[in-house]
Amino acid sequence: MSESANLNKLRPIDFCDVLDRIGGDTAFLKELLNIYFQEYTEKKRLLEEAITQEDFTKVCELGHSLKGASANLSLSRLRRVAFALETAGRERHLQLAQEAARSFDTEVQTLKAFLEGNPPGKFV
Amino acid sequence: MKILIAEDDQISSRILQKNIENWGYKAVLARSGQAAWEALQDEELRLSILDWMMPGMDGVEVCRKIRHRKKYKYTYIILLSARDRKQDIIAGLSSGADDYMTKPVNFLELRARLQTGKRIIDLEDKLLVIQTQLKDIASRDGLTKIWNRSEISKFLSEELERGLREKKPTGVVLLDLDHFKKINDFYGHAIGDQALLQVVSRLKRKIRKSDKIGRYGGDEIIIILPNCGLDEIKKVGERLRLAVGKIGIRTDLDTVPVTVSAGCATSELPGTASADKLIKVADGALLKAKGRGRNCVVVAGQDREPAREQINV
Repeated sequence: MSESANLNKLRPIDFCDVLDRIGGDTAFLKELLNIYFQEYTEKKRLLEEAITQEDFTKVCELGHSLKGASANLSLSRLRRVAFALETAGRERHLQLAQEAARSFDTEVQTLKAFLEGNPPGKFV
Repeated sequence: MKILIAEDDQISSRILQKNIENWGYKAVLARSGQAAWEALQDEELRLSILDWMMPGMDGVEVCRKIRHRKKYKYTYIILLSARDRKQDIIAGLSSGADDYMTKPVNFLELRARLQTGKRIIDLEDKLLVIQTQLKDIASRDGLTKIWNRSEISKFLSEELERGLREKKPTGVVLLDLDHFKKINDFYGHAIGDQALLQVVSRLKRKIRKSDKIGRYGGDEIIIILPNCGLDEIKKVGERLRLAVGKIGIRTDLDTVPVTVSAGCATSELPGTASADKLIKVADGALLKAKGRGRNCVVVAGQDREPAREQINV
C-alpha cells in the first residue's frame, strides 16, 4: 500500500475511494456530505427516541441506513460504528446500542472538524 | 429511456441518479417500496433498480408483485443489496429480479448491466411488434386483407353483447357476388380475384369507420353494422349493392360487370341472440335475394319486392 493510500485510510473519509466512485466530482461530494449531515440530524433524533423507547427494530433499521450512507461516502469508521449499532439493535442490546449511538455522534463531529480544515479536493 | 431508482437512502439515490442521468437515461425516484410500486404503474417504466432494504414493502416484495402482473410489458429489475451471501443472491433472484448487485455499487458495472437490461427490453418490444403483425395476419383474409371468418364472427359476438348492454340494434349484411363462378370460369381465377378485390374496395368506401367488413366464404362478404336497425339496414344494403354493380369492374383483361345479392338482418329480429343465429337469418335473406333473380336486397322478415337493376354478366 502506498504512503498516500495509507494516509487516506487514517482519515475519517477516504477521498480517493469516494471520488473514484463519483467520477472525481468534488462539488458533488460536497453536496453528498451536506445531505449526509442533514439526514443525520433527523436520524439522530429518531435514534435517541428509539433507544429511549427500547424500539430495537428501529435501532437496527437506523443502524443499517447509517451504515449504507457511510459506506457510500467511504466513511469507514462511521460505517463500522453504524454496523455496531445495527448489530446492537438486532441483538436487542440496550447498553451496546447506547454506546454505539454515542460513538457515532462523536465520529460525526470528528468528520465535521476534519472537513473544515480539509474540504473535498484538497487531498486526493 | 426512464429508469426507476427505488432507494430509501438519499445519498445512494442521489449518486445513482447522477450517474444514470450522465449516461443519458431519465431517472424516476422512489424512496419506499410502496412509492416504487406506484411509480411502476407507468407502463413506460421498464428498467428498475430496486434496493432490497426499504421501509414498508421491500425490494424483494416489489419484485414479486411485478412478476405477478399479467397485462404489463416486461420490467427488467436489478436488485441492490449490501447482502452478499450466496443464499441472499439466490433469494433475491428467486423473487423475480433479473440481476443482483452488491453495495457499494461499481458504476461501470452497473452501466453495463443496465445496457443488458435495455437489450432485453428492446428485444421484447421487437417480439411484441412481430406478435401483433402475426396476429393481424392470422386474423385477415389472405387475398382481400379484410377480416377472416373467425375474426369477423368474434367481432359480431362482441358487438351483439355491446348492443345488448347499450340497448342498440346490430345489423348484418351478407353479400354474395352474383355468378362469380362464371366470372372465374370465363376469365380465369386471376381476373376473378381482381374483381373480388375491387368489390371489397367499393364496399369499404361505403361503410362507416365503426362498421366491420370480413370475408365470410369464397365470394361471400359480411358487413357488421353497430347501432343499425331494421329502419336503416335496407338503405345500407341498397347503397352497397349499387356501389358494386353500378359501374363495371375494370380488370387486366376486360371491364367485367359484377353485381351482388344481399341478405340483411338485425338483432331486433326474433331468433338472433347469437352471432351464428344472426348470420343464419341474414343467410336466409340472402338465399331469398338469390331466388328473386339476384342483384337485389332482401331484409329478413320483410317480404316486399326488392329494388332491382339488371346487369348481365
